[in-house]
Amino acid sequence: MKKFDQKAAEQMLYLRLGQIFINEESKAGKFKIPMHLAMGHEAIAVAVSDALASEDKLVLSHRNLAYNLVRAGKVRPILDEYLLKSTGLAKAKLGSMNLINPERNVIYTSSILGNNFSVSSGIAMAEKVRGLSGVTFVLGGDGSMEEGSFYESLTMMKTLGLRIVVIIENNEWSLATKISERRCPIDLRKLTSALDISYESLFGNDVEKYIKKISEARERALKNGPICIEVALTTLGDSRGPQTPEYPEGKYINYHAGPSSSVDIARHALRAVLKESDEDPIFVLREKMGKAKLSELAERIFKQIQRELV
Amino acid sequence: MKYIEYVNGLIKEAVARPEHAVLFGQNMNAGSCLGGLTRGFSVKPAGKIWNSTNAENSLVGFGFGLMLNGAQAGFFMKQMDFLVLGIDHLVNTYNIIRNMKHQPKEGSFTIAAMVVDSGWEGPQSSLNNFADICSIAHVPGYAVTNKTDADFIVRKHLMQPGFRILGISQRLGKTEIIDPGSALEVYGAGEIFKYKSGEDATLVSFNFSFPQAYELEAKLRKSNIHAAFFNVNSAIATDWTPIKESAKMTKKIIVVDDSKSVHVAADALLAELCTEVPLVKKIFIKRQLGENWLHPASDEFVIDDSLLDTLKG
Repeated sequence: MKKFDQKAAEQMLYLRLGQIFINEESKAGKFKIPMHLAMGHEAIAVAVSDALASEDKLVLSHRNLAYNLVRAGKVRPILDEYLLKSTGLAKAKLGSMNLINPERNVIYTSSILGNNFSVSSGIAMAEKVRGLSGVTFVLGGDGSMEEGSFYESLTMMKTLGLRIVVIIENNEWSLATKISERRCPIDLRKLTSALDISYESLFGNDVEKYIKKISEARERALKNGPICIEVALTTLGDSRGPQTPEYPEGKYINYHAGPSSSVDIARHALRAVLKESDEDPIFVLREKMGKAKLSELAERIFKQIQRELV
Repeated sequence: MKYIEYVNGLIKEAVARPEHAVLFGQNMNAGSCLGGLTRGFSVKPAGKIWNSTNAENSLVGFGFGLMLNGAQAGFFMKQMDFLVLGIDHLVNTYNIIRNMKHQPKEGSFTIAAMVVDSGWEGPQSSLNNFADICSIAHVPGYAVTNKTDADFIVRKHLMQPGFRILGISQRLGKTEIIDPGSALEVYGAGEIFKYKSGEDATLVSFNFSFPQAYELEAKLRKSNIHAAFFNVNSAIATDWTPIKESAKMTKKIIVVDDSKSVHVAADALLAELCTEVPLVKKIFIKRQLGENWLHPASDEFVIDDSLLDTLKG
């Protein structure tokens, strides 16, 4: 791989292994706060982080761990924040779902679905009236785009010509229900087209492709105003609900919150891959790098995080 | 001068000053300009006045985003009940921002909302209690009721760093603005204004009942009853010291609140007074809701003159 890709690969593995370490703490019952892992979100998180210019602003949602990890570049301050220690990233004042890191561009994070779209619109508008040159990136999911504020904010972004990149991480799930269980399909391409907003669809978890696409999206937002990117992904770490007559083996639930019982540091840390398909960004990375190189890199990063956490 | 013209003049002056003012609201710069509240506004070249979309929830979030990134935002709203749609931001977004380690230094956000206290809007008029909106998350809010408090509150708060809501009365809009003269004291950042000293009774008005209390105070004086007169402008005032000190001396308290809610701002004062101050007379004048309280009506709030006899007795 090229040097730049090496950096992306290292970041991807750092995010995956960092989350596996955090998951172990969660499984041990050490967090009093709610916590949402984002395993499976590594490729898009690395791509967004890579595209950010120093003046850009990043606005996150409750599932912000991958983004905060890649921006902070350290597990310790985030873990300490989750443990509500004074050495935490926000000195134990914000916990997980509202965690920000203004020094690294993360200026607002909301635990409320859809809340951050309008706030990001205001942030982008301030950028404009203050004569600043940054682009605002805002993250949401397929649940948050059901909120009325999503539509309201897209209208606002287009009307005011705001330099903003809206990224919808579509993992198909909202808590314990799939899209097909809770609503009709929403064709985001058509919805954005109706508002004359550019749309891109990303899938396949190829981090190099994502880096290129997000970087291009930033340039387009600078020139033409808002752009919406829908990223198909799978949040990894499945579980099953309680056994009921309707679901004798327990209902399958895509990972939502808290510890993931199906992910284990002893089993998964060194191989890093959780799912043998392109639903797992680390699987896609392994296909490109080769098994041996990935293992070697995973081992190095595993030890690096171990040292960091001692 | 009419109440709305006077308040408009003060706001016009304040919004013209900041470098990066963004003023927005539905039809704020068109048609009646929100009944005259926003008529003739202008901002510096870098700023913007936006006749916004009809999206109250997102407009509140938009204002917080502007504040967070260092601009000076003003959201002008025809009816305060529209703000119910923005409660997520009043609670969650505001809490997140004020919990941040580094507060936005220059950033400012003010919502100026007309409180529907005239009654003609029927069901919408039931929410006439400014304190309802402010108490949900200890939101700083200031009711503008007369010339003196308007001068102080608008100049002190509008477009200044931080967040607050200004409550503007719809009922008072077309009436002559009352000029009670200089306040004897202004407590805090405009939470409580004291207009008169007196040793015979302590009179306190809440929400938008200042005009009724002002008239009552004059009638009392004519009857040789000298009341200390306070108006509580903040919906979340908690330091009642000046009022308690007065009540300790007069031992008679008259509280006026024109709000329609079950829980009104005056409750908090009364609870403290009843437990901490020995009183010989307690009079609480509040709205009596009739069967038609959801129907369009004039919503007049009149204090019965028989109260004077009660006090004389």
